[in-house]
Amino acid sequence: MTTEELGWAVTIHRLWASVAAITSREELSDLVLPPLLRVPGAVGAWGLRHTTGTEITVYRWAGLPLEGDARPVALELAVAGGVPDSPARDWLAERGVHGVAVSRFDGDGEVGGTMLVLLGPDGDRDRAALCLDQVAGVTREAIRRLAAHRAEQAQQVRDALLAEASLQMDAVLDRTQTLRRVARMAVPAIAEGCLVYLYEGGRPELRSAVHIDMRRLNALLADPAVARQLTELATEAIAGRVVRAEGVVPGSRIVDAQVLRARDRTAGVLIFMFERDPQDVPPPRFLRDLSYRAALALDNGELYEQRRREVVTMQQHLLPSRLPSAAGLEFAASYTVGDRVLEVGGDFYDVVVRADGTVGALVGDVCGRGVDAAALTGMARHTLGALLQEGLPPVRALARLNTSLRREKSWRFLTAGVALLRAEAGGFAVQWLSCGHPAPLILRRGRPAESGRGGGVPVGVLPEARVGRSRLRLATGDTLVMFTDGLTESRDADGRMFGDVALYETVDKLRDVPLDTLVHELSAAAARFGVTGADDIAVLAIRVEDPAKGPADDRL
Amino acid sequence: MTGFDLILIVEDSAEDVEAIERAISRALPDLRLEFLRSGSEVLPRLTTPGAELPGLILLDLNMPGEGGLAVIQRVRADPALDQLRIVVFTSSEDQAEADACYAAGADSYIFKPINFGLFQTVLRQTLDYWRSRPNVAHIVVPPPGDSPAQI
Repeated sequence: MTTEELGWAVTIHRLWASVAAITSREELSDLVLPPLLRVPGAVGAWGLRHTTGTEITVYRWAGLPLEGDARPVALELAVAGGVPDSPARDWLAERGVHGVAVSRFDGDGEVGGTMLVLLGPDGDRDRAALCLDQVAGVTREAIRRLAAHRAEQAQQVRDALLAEASLQMDAVLDRTQTLRRVARMAVPAIAEGCLVYLYEGGRPELRSAVHIDMRRLNALLADPAVARQLTELATEAIAGRVVRAEGVVPGSRIVDAQVLRARDRTAGVLIFMFERDPQDVPPPRFLRDLSYRAALALDNGELYEQRRREVVTMQQHLLPSRLPSAAGLEFAASYTVGDRVLEVGGDFYDVVVRADGTVGALVGDVCGRGVDAAALTGMARHTLGALLQEGLPPVRALARLNTSLRREKSWRFLTAGVALLRAEAGGFAVQWLSCGHPAPLILRRGRPAESGRGGGVPVGVLPEARVGRSRLRLATGDTLVMFTDGLTESRDADGRMFGDVALYETVDKLRDVPLDTLVHELSAAAARFGVTGADDIAVLAIRVEDPAKGPADDRL
Repeated sequence: MTGFDLILIVEDSAEDVEAIERAISRALPDLRLEFLRSGSEVLPRLTTPGAELPGLILLDLNMPGEGGLAVIQRVRADPALDQLRIVVFTSSEDQAEADACYAAGADSYIFKPINFGLFQTVLRQTLDYWRSRPNVAHIVVPPPGDSPAQI
């Protein structure tokens, strides 16, 4: 082996050893082209990267520059596989090139390449072809490794996107937000643009659009022809036809439409727009997977919304649609639903007016939530309301309810408070009955808010009802505020309860506001105070009207 | 790849600065990166006589002091900076913020992923996209209500 051959063998060995460290095609050309100048007689080494056919995308060189008018010459050499009999021959001769060795390789599904060694008058073409073949072998292996590495990285990115998109989409049940998140996650990680169509009224409607260049997308969508074309693609996808098309949308090389379908329900279509190299476009299978997850998230949101509407409707049925009128009294009530809005809460209130003008006001709280609690809530409210209306003393009404619960052998119990108000000179006499219920508040003119008495044992706990009894008097302008424990037990981040640290201060500020405002502001203040808003809050307030002012017009 | 080779990154979070630097230097090693840690430094940096202008600003939205939106408004108010691309890179999920940024003249509003691989891909795709686009003078888009696609 000559010294020259030994040197070349070392070069080739070094190239093979370097292949594993290559991370890009740019690095590769820097690695493989300069050594080709060591081929005896070589004056230049050129590298062309091309798509299929003869379209060149990248030019690299060592030695004789591959710029300007050299490029069409390089293309001719690559196509001819040698020096052609054309003006290119003269161009080359003027630059001292009298021969060329050419090696072309096309990877499997990869961007191909051509390498050329340009030889001076003393170059040995056979020797150069042999050396070039060796270097091309290294290059092919490097490209194969790069492709495998890129595919692996792309897969990792797609896996990460699926994981992150699922996390993002599952974090919200709101349909609108889900749509936005899908599109925002996709762009530009996997596509330059993403359009979300919802299937409504039998046709796809564009509801969200995201693009790396929104200005450009808005201009595209403003073109009726393009908008129509995209809607047709969405329609095709809904019809079950696979849609991946090239060149149908200006500025996008490829568009891919994926139907949003889960649990046999079609929610809409995602259209992905690609401007990147085709090799960087994710496979349809991945886009189908992403779309399926989005469809599931949308469907979950839809089911959630449906359930929430049912719960709200049911909750409304458990409460009086309006409060009655009674001479000399004004009523207002509010109900604030806690966090667990997918289950009906157990708080209730009602007001009844007897034929003799006596008023019975009741408030209660069934332990737990859900259908069973709701059934008991309805039963308790109607039983107490009907018995009080019929003139039964509140203690006996509560005892009857206790008996009913015990007879049903229900494990559930409830707290309840009943106020019976009878008109007397200058105000109302109030009989307050409590079965384990929070004591009411009394707001008197010019005095701090005061608490009534609680007492008693929750209904349904003992064989015989045990009722706490107290009396109080409401003068003109005084207000009785009855509520459930969701108001007082709303907790802040430090675990402190609204009832302990903020209730009295709040009601004192609300003393002179209209009664309807008072109940809503009080509930809102407690809900804001709490960090979780876990429990429902019912508030029922009764104010003795001032005859001089007349009845308030904000009555429920 | 053609286009600019200097970008300005405006980011107050040290963790994000590190992640952005690592991601871009790996994915696009030929890019030169310059970091500013607050919005108020942007205009003085861009308007210093003779200073090299970047081709693109990668902008965090929620920063103490002058926020990203104010930076966009101030940059777009200066005709000498028309060629500058502004990419908002944020973890904010507020659609109104995205609309406001576009209305103020941002070129892209990009979500900041948690996963580093995805983070790097998003940055590479964004920078590749804008480096391959010739710069043109900016037209501030109409308010969000006039956009053809609205949720």
